[in-house]
Amino acid sequence: MECVVQGIIESQNNSHYMRHNNGVRLQHVEALQILLQGLCGVPKERVRVHELCLKSGPNLGVVPSEVRLLCDLAQPTPSWTVRHVGGAMRGAGAEQISVLVRTIVESKRGAQITVTVTSANKMPKLYATDEAVPVTPGIQLVEITAPAAAENYSEVVAAVSSFCEYLAPLLHLSKPGVSMGIVPTAAAAAASLMSNSGAKTL
Amino acid sequence: MPVKWLMHWQPNQGVTLTTQILTEACQCVESQLGGAKDGRWKTALTYYRPALREASASGDLPRELLGVALHDQLGSYYFLLRAHRLILQADSSMQALMDKLQSYKPRVVLNFEGFQYRLGDFQVRVGKCVPSSEVLRGIMMEVEYLPLSSIEKSRQILEDFFDIWQDTVKKRSLPGHFILVEPNFADYGLQDHYTPQHTAVQYATCMTQLMAAVRN
Repeated sequence: MECVVQGIIESQNNSHYMRHNNGVRLQHVEALQILLQGLCGVPKERVRVHELCLKSGPNLGVVPSEVRLLCDLAQPTPSWTVRHVGGAMRGAGAEQISVLVRTIVESKRGAQITVTVTSANKMPKLYATDEAVPVTPGIQLVEITAPAAAENYSEVVAAVSSFCEYLAPLLHLSKPGVSMGIVPTAAAAAASLMSNSGAKTL
Repeated sequence: MPVKWLMHWQPNQGVTLTTQILTEACQCVESQLGGAKDGRWKTALTYYRPALREASASGDLPRELLGVALHDQLGSYYFLLRAHRLILQADSSMQALMDKLQSYKPRVVLNFEGFQYRLGDFQVRVGKCVPSSEVLRGIMMEVEYLPLSSIEKSRQILEDFFDIWQDTVKKRSLPGHFILVEPNFADYGLQDHYTPQHTAVQYATCMTQLMAAVRN
Protein backbone atom coordinates (compact mmCIF):
# COMPACT_ATOMS: atom_id res chain seq x y z
CA MET A 1 0.00 0.00 0.00
CA GLU A 2 1.03 3.61 -0.22
CA CYS A 3 -0.14 6.98 0.99
CA VAL A 4 0.02 9.70 -1.64
CA VAL A 5 -0.69 13.39 -2.12
CA GLN A 6 0.08 15.64 -5.08
CA GLY A 7 0.39 19.33 -5.79
CA ILE A 8 1.76 21.67 -8.44
CA ILE A 9 4.45 24.30 -8.24
CA GLU A 10 5.62 27.00 -10.60
CA SER A 11 8.97 26.16 -12.08
CA GLN A 12 9.94 29.05 -14.27
CA ASN A 13 11.25 32.40 -13.08
CA ASN A 14 8.58 35.03 -13.44
CA SER A 15 9.96 37.83 -15.62
CA HIS A 16 7.59 40.28 -13.90
CA TYR A 17 9.46 39.64 -10.66
CA MET A 18 12.80 39.97 -12.41
CA ARG A 19 12.07 43.55 -13.34
CA HIS A 20 10.99 44.54 -9.85
CA ASN A 21 13.65 42.68 -7.87
CA ASN A 22 16.82 43.74 -9.63
CA GLY A 23 17.34 40.43 -11.41
CA VAL A 24 16.85 38.11 -8.43
CA ARG A 25 15.42 34.91 -9.86
CA LEU A 26 12.77 33.32 -7.73
CA GLN A 27 12.71 29.61 -8.24
CA HIS A 28 9.87 28.07 -6.25
CA VAL A 29 11.33 24.65 -6.81
CA GLU A 30 14.62 25.82 -5.33
CA ALA A 31 12.77 27.27 -2.36
CA LEU A 32 11.05 23.92 -1.87
CA GLN A 33 14.45 22.28 -1.85
CA ILE A 34 15.64 24.66 0.89
CA LEU A 35 12.49 23.96 2.88
CA LEU A 36 12.96 20.20 2.51
CA GLN A 37 16.63 20.48 3.41
CA GLY A 38 15.67 22.25 6.61
CA LEU A 39 13.00 19.67 7.42
CA CYS A 40 14.93 16.50 6.78
CA GLY A 41 18.44 17.25 5.49
CA VAL A 42 18.29 14.47 2.88
CA PRO A 43 20.29 15.00 -0.33
CA LYS A 44 18.35 15.27 -3.56
CA GLU A 45 18.68 12.79 -6.43
CA ARG A 46 18.13 13.35 -10.10
CA VAL A 47 14.97 11.83 -11.59
CA ARG A 48 14.90 10.72 -15.18
CA VAL A 49 12.27 8.07 -15.83
CA HIS A 50 10.95 6.75 -19.10
CA GLU A 51 7.44 5.56 -18.37
CA LEU A 52 5.39 3.19 -20.51
CA CYS A 53 1.77 2.63 -19.60
CA LEU A 54 0.41 -0.68 -20.83
CA LYS A 55 -3.28 -1.40 -20.95
CA SER A 56 -4.76 -4.84 -21.50
CA GLY A 57 -6.24 -5.43 -24.95
CA PRO A 58 -9.99 -5.72 -25.45
CA ASN A 59 -10.13 -9.50 -25.07
CA LEU A 60 -7.61 -10.02 -22.30
CA GLY A 61 -8.54 -10.34 -18.64
CA VAL A 62 -11.96 -10.43 -17.01
CA VAL A 63 -11.58 -6.73 -16.17
CA PRO A 64 -9.35 -4.19 -17.95
CA SER A 65 -5.98 -3.78 -16.32
CA GLU A 66 -3.12 -1.37 -16.55
CA VAL A 67 0.51 -1.69 -15.62
CA ARG A 68 3.37 0.81 -15.80
CA LEU A 69 6.90 0.05 -16.88
CA LEU A 70 9.35 2.56 -15.47
CA CYS A 71 12.88 2.72 -16.77
CA ASP A 72 15.22 4.62 -14.47
CA LEU A 73 17.59 6.47 -16.81
CA ALA A 74 19.33 8.39 -14.02
CA GLN A 75 21.38 5.36 -12.93
CA PRO A 76 24.57 4.30 -14.79
CA THR A 77 22.79 1.06 -15.76
CA PRO A 78 19.11 1.64 -16.59
CA SER A 79 16.84 -0.42 -14.37
CA TRP A 80 13.20 -1.34 -14.83
CA THR A 81 10.40 -1.31 -12.30
CA VAL A 82 6.97 -2.76 -12.99
CA ARG A 83 4.23 -1.00 -11.10
CA HIS A 84 0.58 -1.84 -10.65
CA VAL A 85 -1.62 0.81 -9.04
CA GLY A 86 -4.60 -0.70 -7.30
CA GLY A 87 -7.84 0.73 -6.02
CA ALA A 88 -7.91 3.49 -3.43
CA MET A 89 -9.48 3.10 0.01
CA ARG A 90 -13.09 4.18 -0.08
CA GLY A 91 -15.82 4.98 2.38
CA ALA A 92 -16.53 7.53 5.12
CA GLY A 93 -13.17 6.90 6.81
CA ALA A 94 -11.24 7.48 3.61
CA GLU A 95 -13.11 10.68 2.90
CA GLN A 96 -12.17 12.18 6.22
CA ILE A 97 -8.45 11.83 5.67
CA SER A 98 -6.61 14.22 3.36
CA VAL A 99 -4.25 11.57 2.02
CA LEU A 100 -5.03 8.92 -0.56
CA VAL A 101 -4.37 5.34 0.55
CA ARG A 102 -4.09 2.83 -2.25
CA THR A 103 -2.68 -0.59 -2.99
CA ILE A 104 0.45 -0.70 -5.04
CA VAL A 105 2.48 -3.65 -6.21
CA GLU A 106 5.96 -2.93 -7.44
CA SER A 107 8.88 -5.05 -8.39
CA LYS A 108 11.20 -2.76 -6.39
CA ARG A 109 11.19 -1.71 -2.72
CA GLY A 110 10.27 1.83 -1.58
CA ALA A 111 11.90 4.05 1.08
CA GLN A 112 10.50 6.42 3.78
CA ILE A 113 8.66 9.61 2.77
CA THR A 114 9.65 10.44 -0.77
CA VAL A 115 9.22 13.86 -2.33
CA THR A 116 9.41 13.89 -6.11
CA VAL A 117 9.36 17.04 -8.23
CA THR A 118 8.96 16.26 -11.92
CA SER A 119 7.85 17.67 -15.21
CA ALA A 120 5.95 15.32 -17.50
CA ASN A 121 7.24 15.33 -21.04
CA LYS A 122 5.55 13.85 -24.05
CA MET A 123 7.57 12.12 -26.78
CA PRO A 124 6.68 12.70 -30.45
CA LYS A 125 7.30 9.01 -31.08
CA LEU A 126 7.92 5.91 -28.98
CA TYR A 127 11.31 5.81 -27.17
CA ALA A 128 12.39 9.27 -28.46
CA THR A 129 13.23 10.47 -24.92
CA ASP A 130 15.56 13.23 -26.14
CA GLU A 131 12.81 14.87 -28.22
CA ALA A 132 10.27 15.04 -25.40
CA VAL A 133 8.53 18.35 -24.74
CA PRO A 134 6.92 19.46 -21.46
CA VAL A 135 3.21 18.80 -21.20
CA THR A 136 2.76 21.68 -18.73
CA PRO A 137 5.50 24.25 -19.32
CA GLY A 138 6.28 26.30 -16.23
CA ILE A 139 4.50 23.91 -13.89
CA GLN A 140 5.97 20.86 -12.20
CA LEU A 141 4.25 18.09 -10.33
CA VAL A 142 5.18 17.47 -6.72
CA GLU A 143 4.31 14.06 -5.38
CA ILE A 144 4.78 12.82 -1.83
CA THR A 145 4.55 9.09 -1.22
CA ALA A 146 5.19 6.78 1.70
CA PRO A 147 4.86 3.00 1.83
CA ALA A 148 2.20 1.65 4.16
CA ALA A 149 0.66 -1.62 5.23
CA ALA A 150 -2.88 -2.50 6.23
CA GLU A 151 -1.82 -2.54 9.92
CA ASN A 152 -0.08 0.85 9.99
CA TYR A 153 -1.56 3.03 7.27
CA SER A 154 -3.28 5.41 9.71
CA GLU A 155 0.09 6.28 11.25
CA VAL A 156 1.60 6.83 7.82
CA VAL A 157 -1.38 9.02 6.87
CA ALA A 158 -0.77 11.13 10.00
CA ALA A 159 2.93 11.44 9.18
CA VAL A 160 2.29 12.47 5.58
CA SER A 161 -0.42 14.95 6.65
CA SER A 162 1.85 16.71 9.14
CA PHE A 163 4.68 16.73 6.62
CA CYS A 164 2.32 18.47 4.18
CA GLU A 165 1.63 21.21 6.72
CA TYR A 166 5.31 22.15 6.71
CA LEU A 167 5.21 22.54 2.94
CA ALA A 168 1.97 24.59 2.97
CA PRO A 169 3.74 27.97 2.32
CA LEU A 170 4.83 26.66 -1.09
CA LEU A 171 2.39 23.89 -2.00
CA HIS A 172 -1.25 22.87 -1.82
CA LEU A 173 -1.06 19.09 -1.42
CA SER A 174 -4.11 16.90 -1.89
CA LYS A 175 -5.26 13.49 -3.10
CA PRO A 176 -4.34 12.84 -6.73
CA GLY A 177 -7.22 13.98 -8.92
CA VAL A 178 -8.35 16.67 -6.48
CA SER A 179 -6.50 19.67 -7.93
CA MET A 180 -6.03 22.73 -5.75
CA GLY A 181 -3.76 24.79 -7.95
CA ILE A 182 -0.73 26.81 -6.92
CA VAL A 183 -0.33 28.72 -3.67
CA PRO A 184 -0.90 32.43 -4.53
CA THR A 185 1.61 33.61 -1.93
CA ALA A 186 4.26 31.04 -2.92
CA ALA A 187 6.51 33.70 -4.45
CA ALA A 188 6.73 35.63 -1.20
CA ALA A 189 7.36 32.43 0.78
CA ALA A 190 10.04 31.36 -1.71
CA ALA A 191 11.75 34.75 -1.50
CA SER A 192 11.74 34.52 2.26
CA LEU A 193 13.25 31.03 2.23
CA MET A 194 15.92 32.00 -0.29
CA SER A 195 16.99 35.11 1.59
CA ASN A 196 16.94 33.38 4.99
CA SER A 197 19.17 30.63 3.78
CA GLY A 198 21.55 33.05 2.06
CA ALA A 199 21.09 31.17 -1.24
CA LYS A 200 23.08 32.55 -4.14
CA THR A 201 21.35 33.49 -7.37
CA LEU A 202 21.89 31.04 -10.22
CA MET B 1 27.98 -18.87 -11.63
CA PRO B 2 28.80 -22.60 -12.02
CA VAL B 3 27.61 -24.50 -15.10
CA LYS B 4 24.61 -26.74 -14.52
CA TRP B 5 23.23 -29.57 -16.63
CA LEU B 6 19.74 -30.98 -16.26
CA MET B 7 18.78 -34.60 -16.83
CA HIS B 8 15.51 -36.43 -16.52
CA TRP B 9 14.49 -40.05 -16.28
CA GLN B 10 13.17 -41.68 -19.44
CA PRO B 11 11.22 -44.81 -18.41
CA ASN B 12 11.20 -47.81 -20.78
CA GLN B 13 8.22 -48.13 -23.07
CA GLY B 14 5.07 -49.09 -21.13
CA VAL B 15 6.70 -48.74 -17.69
CA THR B 16 5.02 -46.53 -15.08
CA LEU B 17 7.16 -44.08 -13.20
CA THR B 18 7.52 -44.80 -9.46
CA THR B 19 9.33 -43.20 -6.54
CA GLN B 20 11.44 -46.36 -6.39
CA ILE B 21 13.55 -44.89 -9.22
CA LEU B 22 14.12 -41.77 -7.11
CA THR B 23 15.20 -43.81 -4.10
CA GLU B 24 17.59 -45.86 -6.26
CA ALA B 25 19.06 -42.74 -7.87
CA CYS B 26 19.67 -41.18 -4.45
CA GLN B 27 21.34 -44.37 -3.26
CA CYS B 28 23.61 -44.35 -6.32
CA VAL B 29 24.76 -40.84 -5.44
CA GLU B 30 25.29 -41.61 -1.77
CA SER B 31 26.67 -45.14 -1.77
CA GLN B 32 28.29 -45.64 -5.19
CA LEU B 33 29.60 -42.11 -5.73
CA GLY B 34 30.12 -41.11 -2.10
CA GLY B 35 28.00 -37.98 -2.21
CA ALA B 36 27.39 -36.14 1.07
CA LYS B 37 23.77 -35.11 1.56
CA ASP B 38 23.70 -31.39 2.06
CA GLY B 39 20.09 -30.21 2.08
CA ARG B 40 16.87 -30.04 0.13
CA TRP B 41 15.93 -28.06 -2.96
CA LYS B 42 12.76 -26.90 -4.69
CA THR B 43 12.18 -25.20 -8.02
CA ALA B 44 8.72 -24.36 -9.34
CA LEU B 45 7.52 -23.97 -12.90
CA THR B 46 4.15 -22.34 -13.63
CA TYR B 47 2.19 -22.40 -16.88
CA TYR B 48 0.24 -19.17 -17.29
CA ARG B 49 -2.59 -18.93 -19.81
CA PRO B 50 -4.36 -15.74 -20.98
CA ALA B 51 -7.69 -15.00 -19.28
CA LEU B 52 -9.74 -14.42 -22.42
CA ARG B 53 -13.18 -12.89 -22.38
CA GLU B 54 -13.97 -14.70 -25.59
CA ALA B 55 -12.28 -18.08 -25.76
CA SER B 56 -12.19 -18.33 -29.54
CA ALA B 57 -10.57 -14.99 -30.36
CA SER B 58 -7.07 -15.16 -28.88
CA GLY B 59 -5.58 -13.18 -31.74
CA ASP B 60 -1.82 -12.86 -31.54
CA LEU B 61 -1.74 -13.07 -27.74
CA PRO B 62 0.84 -15.61 -26.58
CA ARG B 63 -1.16 -18.65 -25.52
CA GLU B 64 1.37 -19.76 -22.94
CA LEU B 65 3.66 -17.92 -20.55
CA LEU B 66 6.08 -19.91 -18.38
CA GLY B 67 7.21 -18.72 -14.97
CA VAL B 68 10.17 -20.26 -13.16
CA ALA B 69 11.17 -19.81 -9.52
CA LEU B 70 14.68 -21.26 -9.03
CA HIS B 71 15.75 -22.64 -5.66
CA ASP B 72 19.06 -20.75 -5.75
CA GLN B 73 17.62 -17.40 -6.94
CA LEU B 74 14.95 -16.65 -4.37
CA GLY B 75 14.81 -12.91 -5.13
CA SER B 76 14.11 -13.43 -8.85
CA TYR B 77 11.42 -14.85 -11.09
CA TYR B 78 11.97 -15.83 -14.72
CA PHE B 79 9.42 -15.55 -17.50
CA LEU B 80 9.70 -17.43 -20.79
CA LEU B 81 7.78 -17.14 -24.02
CA ARG B 82 8.88 -20.31 -25.77
CA ALA B 83 7.17 -19.54 -29.07
CA HIS B 84 9.06 -16.24 -29.24
CA ARG B 85 12.29 -17.54 -27.65
CA LEU B 86 12.17 -14.74 -25.07
CA ILE B 87 13.36 -14.90 -21.49
CA LEU B 88 13.04 -12.20 -18.85
CA GLN B 89 14.41 -11.90 -15.33
CA ALA B 90 12.13 -10.07 -12.89
CA ASP B 91 11.97 -9.48 -9.16
CA SER B 92 10.13 -12.26 -7.28
CA SER B 93 7.38 -9.74 -6.40
CA MET B 94 6.30 -9.98 -10.06
CA GLN B 95 4.19 -13.00 -9.06
CA ALA B 96 2.08 -10.77 -6.76
CA LEU B 97 1.80 -8.29 -9.62
CA MET B 98 0.56 -11.02 -12.00
CA ASP B 99 -2.12 -11.87 -9.38
CA LYS B 100 -3.29 -8.26 -9.39
CA LEU B 101 -3.30 -7.90 -13.16
CA GLN B 102 -5.40 -11.03 -13.74
CA SER B 103 -4.47 -10.92 -17.43
CA TYR B 104 -2.52 -14.19 -17.44
CA LYS B 105 -3.48 -16.74 -14.81
CA PRO B 106 -1.51 -19.73 -13.48
CA ARG B 107 -3.09 -22.92 -14.79
CA VAL B 108 -0.57 -25.62 -13.93
CA VAL B 109 2.14 -25.52 -11.28
CA LEU B 110 4.91 -28.11 -11.27
CA ASN B 111 7.20 -28.51 -8.28
CA PHE B 112 10.65 -30.02 -8.66
CA GLU B 113 11.98 -31.03 -5.26
CA GLY B 114 14.42 -33.40 -3.62
CA PHE B 115 17.80 -33.72 -1.97
CA GLN B 116 21.12 -32.19 -2.82
CA TYR B 117 24.56 -33.76 -2.50
CA ARG B 118 28.15 -32.57 -2.61
CA LEU B 119 30.60 -34.71 -4.56
CA GLY B 120 33.99 -33.00 -4.65
CA ASP B 121 33.80 -30.29 -7.34
CA PHE B 122 30.25 -31.29 -8.24
CA GLN B 123 26.95 -30.49 -6.65
CA VAL B 124 24.21 -32.94 -7.56
CA ARG B 125 20.47 -32.57 -7.01
CA VAL B 126 18.08 -35.47 -7.42
CA GLY B 127 14.37 -34.88 -7.24
CA LYS B 128 10.87 -35.57 -8.40
CA CYS B 129 8.56 -33.52 -10.58
CA VAL B 130 5.10 -33.25 -9.04
CA PRO B 131 2.16 -31.16 -10.10
CA SER B 132 -0.35 -29.95 -7.47
CA SER B 133 -2.22 -33.24 -7.93
CA GLU B 134 0.77 -34.95 -6.31
CA VAL B 135 0.97 -37.59 -9.05
CA LEU B 136 4.61 -38.29 -9.90
CA ARG B 137 5.38 -36.84 -13.29
CA GLY B 138 9.13 -37.15 -13.55
CA ILE B 139 12.50 -37.69 -11.92
CA MET B 140 15.14 -35.00 -12.42
CA MET B 141 18.76 -34.42 -11.77
CA GLU B 142 20.78 -31.23 -11.72
CA VAL B 143 24.55 -31.60 -12.01
CA GLU B 144 26.60 -28.51 -11.27
CA TYR B 145 30.34 -28.21 -11.89
CA LEU B 146 31.42 -25.61 -9.33
CA PRO B 147 34.84 -24.44 -10.62
CA LEU B 148 33.72 -23.27 -14.10
CA SER B 149 31.21 -20.80 -15.56
CA SER B 150 31.94 -21.42 -19.23
CA ILE B 151 29.62 -23.91 -20.90
CA GLU B 152 32.18 -24.86 -23.56
CA LYS B 153 35.08 -25.27 -21.14
CA SER B 154 33.09 -27.49 -18.81
CA ARG B 155 31.48 -29.61 -21.53
CA GLN B 156 34.06 -32.42 -21.49
CA ILE B 157 34.08 -32.84 -17.72
CA LEU B 158 30.28 -32.86 -17.52
CA GLU B 159 30.10 -35.43 -20.34
CA ASP B 160 32.56 -37.61 -18.40
CA PHE B 161 30.43 -37.27 -15.26
CA PHE B 162 27.33 -38.20 -17.26
CA ASP B 163 29.05 -41.34 -18.59
CA ILE B 164 30.08 -42.42 -15.06
CA TRP B 165 26.56 -41.72 -13.84
CA GLN B 166 24.98 -43.81 -16.63
CA ASP B 167 27.28 -46.74 -15.80
CA THR B 168 26.48 -46.51 -12.08
CA VAL B 169 22.73 -46.49 -12.68
CA LYS B 170 22.91 -49.31 -15.26
CA LYS B 171 24.22 -51.68 -12.56
CA ARG B 172 20.89 -51.35 -10.77
CA SER B 173 18.99 -52.67 -13.81
CA LEU B 174 16.27 -50.07 -13.58
CA PRO B 175 13.58 -49.90 -16.31
CA GLY B 176 14.81 -46.76 -18.03
CA HIS B 177 17.72 -44.32 -18.20
CA PHE B 178 18.58 -40.69 -17.66
CA ILE B 179 18.76 -38.37 -20.65
CA LEU B 180 20.29 -34.95 -20.96
CA VAL B 181 18.23 -31.88 -21.61
CA GLU B 182 19.90 -30.07 -24.51
CA PRO B 183 18.29 -26.72 -25.20
CA ASN B 184 19.52 -24.28 -27.79
CA PHE B 185 20.73 -21.45 -25.57
CA ALA B 186 21.67 -19.27 -28.54
CA ASP B 187 18.00 -19.23 -29.63
CA TYR B 188 17.24 -17.30 -26.44
CA GLY B 189 20.16 -14.96 -26.96
CA LEU B 190 22.14 -16.57 -24.13
CA GLN B 191 25.95 -16.68 -24.18
CA ASP B 192 28.65 -19.13 -23.12
CA HIS B 193 28.84 -17.66 -19.62
CA TYR B 194 26.35 -19.60 -17.48
CA THR B 195 23.50 -17.68 -15.82
CA PRO B 196 20.22 -18.48 -14.02
CA GLN B 197 18.48 -17.76 -17.35
CA HIS B 198 20.25 -20.83 -18.75
CA THR B 199 18.75 -22.91 -15.92
CA ALA B 200 15.26 -21.52 -16.57
CA VAL B 201 15.58 -22.44 -20.28
CA GLN B 202 16.72 -25.97 -19.33
CA TYR B 203 13.66 -26.46 -17.10
CA ALA B 204 11.33 -25.19 -19.82
CA THR B 205 12.93 -27.51 -22.40
CA CYS B 206 12.88 -30.40 -19.94
CA MET B 207 9.13 -30.03 -19.49
CA THR B 208 8.56 -30.41 -23.23
CA GLN B 209 10.63 -33.60 -23.20
CA LEU B 210 8.95 -34.91 -20.02
CA MET B 211 5.47 -34.38 -21.42
CA ALA B 212 6.44 -36.16 -24.63
CA ALA B 213 7.81 -39.08 -22.53
CA VAL B 214 4.60 -39.34 -20.48
CA ARG B 215 2.49 -39.33 -23.64
CA ASN B 216 4.53 -42.20 -25.16
